[in-house]
Amino acid sequence: MAGPISLDVDDTGLMTISRDMQLSLSLDEMKALKKYYHALGRSATGIELETFAQTWSEHCCHKTFRGEVEFEGKIVSNLLKTTIAKVTSTLDHEWCFSVFEDNAGIVDFDGDTAIAFKVETHNHPSALEPFGGAATGVGGVIRDILGVWGEPIANTDVLCFGPLDYPYEKLPAGMKHPSFIYKYVTAGIGHYGNNMGIPTVNGAIYFDESYVGNPLVYCGTVGLVKKSRYKREIRTGDVMILAGGKTGRDGIHGVTFASVDLSTEQERSVVQIGDPIEEEKVSRAVISIRDKGLGSAITDLGGGGLSSAIGEMAELGGCGADVHLERVPLKHPGMQPWEIWTSESQERMLVCCHKKDVEAILGVFADEEVEAVVVAEFTEGERLRLMHTDTVVGEINISFLFGTNIRTRRVATPPERSFSEPRVRSMDPAADLLAILAMPNVASKENVIRTYDHEVKAQTVLKPLQGLDGPGDAAVLKPLNSSWKGVVISNGMNPEYGKIDPYHMAACAIDEAIRNNIAVGGRRIALLDNFCWGNPERPDRMWGLVRASQACHDVALAFETPFISGKDSLYNETELGPITPTLLISALGVMPDIRRAVSMDLKEEGNSIFIVGATKDELGGSHFYKLKGSLGKNVPMVDAASAKTSFDMLTKAIDSGCVRSCHDLSEGGLAVAASETCFAGGLGLELDLDKMPRKGELSTEKLLFSESQSRFLVGTDDSAAFEKAMADTVFSEIGCVTDDKRLRITRKAAEVLNIEIEVLKRSWKNGL
Amino acid sequence: MAYKVCIIRAPGTNCDRETAMCVESQGLEAEVVHVKRLMEGEIRFSDYDGLIIPGGFSFGDHVRAGALLGKILKERFGDELAQFSSDGKPILGICNGFQVLVECGLLPGNTAQSALTTNLSSRFECRWVDLSVETSRCIFTDGLSGSIRLPVAHGEGRFLVTAGELKELTNTGQVVFKYAQKNGGSAGGSYPENPNGSIDDIAGICNKEGNVFGLMPHPERAFYRFLHPRWTKSDESESFGDGYKIFNNMAEYIMR
Amino acid sequence: MKWEVRISYKKGVQDSEGESTLSGLKTLGFNNVDNVSAAKVYLIEGNLTHGDVEEMCRRLLANPVSQDYSISEVK
Repeated sequence: MAGPISLDVDDTGLMTISRDMQLSLSLDEMKALKKYYHALGRSATGIELETFAQTWSEHCCHKTFRGEVEFEGKIVSNLLKTTIAKVTSTLDHEWCFSVFEDNAGIVDFDGDTAIAFKVETHNHPSALEPFGGAATGVGGVIRDILGVWGEPIANTDVLCFGPLDYPYEKLPAGMKHPSFIYKYVTAGIGHYGNNMGIPTVNGAIYFDESYVGNPLVYCGTVGLVKKSRYKREIRTGDVMILAGGKTGRDGIHGVTFASVDLSTEQERSVVQIGDPIEEEKVSRAVISIRDKGLGSAITDLGGGGLSSAIGEMAELGGCGADVHLERVPLKHPGMQPWEIWTSESQERMLVCCHKKDVEAILGVFADEEVEAVVVAEFTEGERLRLMHTDTVVGEINISFLFGTNIRTRRVATPPERSFSEPRVRSMDPAADLLAILAMPNVASKENVIRTYDHEVKAQTVLKPLQGLDGPGDAAVLKPLNSSWKGVVISNGMNPEYGKIDPYHMAACAIDEAIRNNIAVGGRRIALLDNFCWGNPERPDRMWGLVRASQACHDVALAFETPFISGKDSLYNETELGPITPTLLISALGVMPDIRRAVSMDLKEEGNSIFIVGATKDELGGSHFYKLKGSLGKNVPMVDAASAKTSFDMLTKAIDSGCVRSCHDLSEGGLAVAASETCFAGGLGLELDLDKMPRKGELSTEKLLFSESQSRFLVGTDDSAAFEKAMADTVFSEIGCVTDDKRLRITRKAAEVLNIEIEVLKRSWKNGL
Repeated sequence: MAYKVCIIRAPGTNCDRETAMCVESQGLEAEVVHVKRLMEGEIRFSDYDGLIIPGGFSFGDHVRAGALLGKILKERFGDELAQFSSDGKPILGICNGFQVLVECGLLPGNTAQSALTTNLSSRFECRWVDLSVETSRCIFTDGLSGSIRLPVAHGEGRFLVTAGELKELTNTGQVVFKYAQKNGGSAGGSYPENPNGSIDDIAGICNKEGNVFGLMPHPERAFYRFLHPRWTKSDESESFGDGYKIFNNMAEYIMR
Repeated sequence: MKWEVRISYKKGVQDSEGESTLSGLKTLGFNNVDNVSAAKVYLIEGNLTHGDVEEMCRRLLANPVSQDYSISEVK
């Protein structure tokens, strides 16, 4: 790879180069390069081609979301801009401080303090090295927050695995068993977050057969930004300081690797373990540099390493850069310039500053025992020049690098499938409820949650487990000593619904993320989208992606909740097939006073219980059907306009102080939500199904287990006040809290079920 | 002149900020000091009126939890710290800090050998526990009695000593906190009330004089009532939590 | 039968425990130490063949992507 590479070859030759160098560049892209080098009248160097491959990779520039799609006879151009980002631009909320631009989305919080939030995925590395893959996933997203001058205050993680009892004999050679991946992914997440001293406050664990061999590891970090210290001003003459861990051969080709299916020979070089103590030191130094006002811009080193970061910084500043690769501290002697340039070694940051501040910044890093060197200087013009001990090893025009936009053209066609409602009844609702509580997606995740520190920093006001260890809807943090304001973090995800229609899956995920936030007292909600999908070059996968994106637009707009950041991980396929389309929506809300926060556990005997929202014939993709071996057809649909009104009213009710407990209805419907509030509060409930607001005539199992969206179970000690606050929305009083520690549900004066809460809790706790 | 408390940190220490906040709320000056600055002779322990070793994973807890920082303190600053302690100045070790105090020999502070080793569950655990307040000479728990509730978050908190030494610790009033049942009764080694399998349910001990105190639970994470896992059930969201008294006692002792 | 299984990181994979122990030993004055690598040892007893233990390493104890293992019989 050292010598010049001539691109003056035919199409086959171009694709041979792309393949042999693992560039993952398409023919159109290779042809554009051929033209570029032809005009220059020279051959390419290896390091230059690597740079194009990184910058134009799916991971860095999201070809699919920014390209063109043939969908229902029309061409959709730039899916991101016309759906997700459009919500944000249409709403144009003044509290959105920085969206879709920097490493993380940033919204206002309290005075000069803003909140940054970013969620990333680390799926392929976690399939290969579950501990290291998950740990470095956490480390990576923490650096995204440091990369907006943010101080990390909380982590979230949402994980998807194959069934833990998946038969070993069905597992293809070399693929790790879901139970192995589960054990080490959760260990890796705990290890990194705990060691960094960042609490893991919110998450979810989901199981589906399509995740065998392709787990999903979503890692999120929330941080505090000082708006007056948020600097991204680069000018010619400024320099770039590389700080943190040494650079090694690890992770080379990780980015281009995101665009190909897993295969064994590429494994070794992408394996990384991560060192949270190194990152903890880097983090302290970065925050100290911020507070001293020393840096002029900052970015993390993620996918593509220096090759992505330095170019991006130069482009941001509208200038060129001279890079001195020999100055980079190395882990492995004898590394080639292109290896240094593209290494994805962890725990590294790039800080830009004026020359006069270099000494001071190096001093701060030295105080924290972090290695730091000046690696590059911003220059006049638009030339990115790569040097290694006085030899120029590469030279690239920055406008060509970032300005070349070769649109991919994908085709979206719906898969041919038909759905029908099964004829299943609940002969024994109590037994069905106990079985659903023990289903892995519903069952208690306490065994994992307790291995994550969710208390460090002493800011976690509502924790992942609430009351006597019930599943909380959202986490609430109080990050400032001087203010009662709270940060509210929640998520929503429904892969099961996506098997019927990705549009409604996305709509429900948004509704769920928002209602979880609303349930504890959150408001002024911002959203993050993280798509994990199969190969978008396959028309059926692409169709689902378009459908889901359209739902993001329609539903988020109706809720007036802007997207502030997002990421996609495509090509999640193994020899067993694609993963089921999976969209994680994360929600970031605020509350003016954490003393009004509401937890989900029942509080005291005699509280009235209200259900908010209508129940419909919507068992499609439900856990009740799943239990009965069916998928169904009637997937839950979101009526966002009426949901928005009822959410707003519920917020008013919470602010008035009359809401003692509030829990959202999700997987397993009313029956599961009611059970959870009971054992979390150590109290019983008496509910009457006849009083539930509904659409049409519904059977008992539909009233119990329907997963209709936008619903809550609210406990109040002041029914009159609650009814007044909820005004004309759909809600109804359906029962009250009892002290006999039983969940008793009736219909037409007959008992539907009557179970001791200890029995419910045991089933829920022993499911995993 | 304000009284100064040194909060010592090493790479991987991560509870120093909230601990400093608790100290400062009591009218003391808290200075977070990197152990490197002590090693370079820039500052000395004798400049301070109290010392706290906060929680975290000092030096990544490699080898053993708290081992490296403990050995540095013992081998480089053994005499200074012995003097600090015998001057009657208060020393508090929380979680990783407790492990450090045991590794450097300041606790139990006699010939007894003790250790904080891997939890019986062999995993990191984050949960709130009930603690019974034992009769001891500990200056940090003055005025506390009955039982209190604090969170633990550790993987290596299982306190071990020999039977003979356990008896001595008990007789000399060095056992400060024990893991307990909700009603205050003895945990009797049962999980999860005793979250790590500590001998005799021991959660915190002090030296014979009562001015050096180490505990696995985190009082700084229970400084305010709104950090308690069940605060939403009551109306006391503005008052202090069970961890407050420990910092309050430290301040009163220093300013006495 | 008693077997000793030793799990260590493959060459080139980061061993932060080894690195941190190295710097700790130097801090305490052991200046002649050049390198430290950390490894994990399991003692496994039972009616087991070398092949059984190898299978354990493959399926659970070691991750072949990042870790090496060695098996020896303890007499």
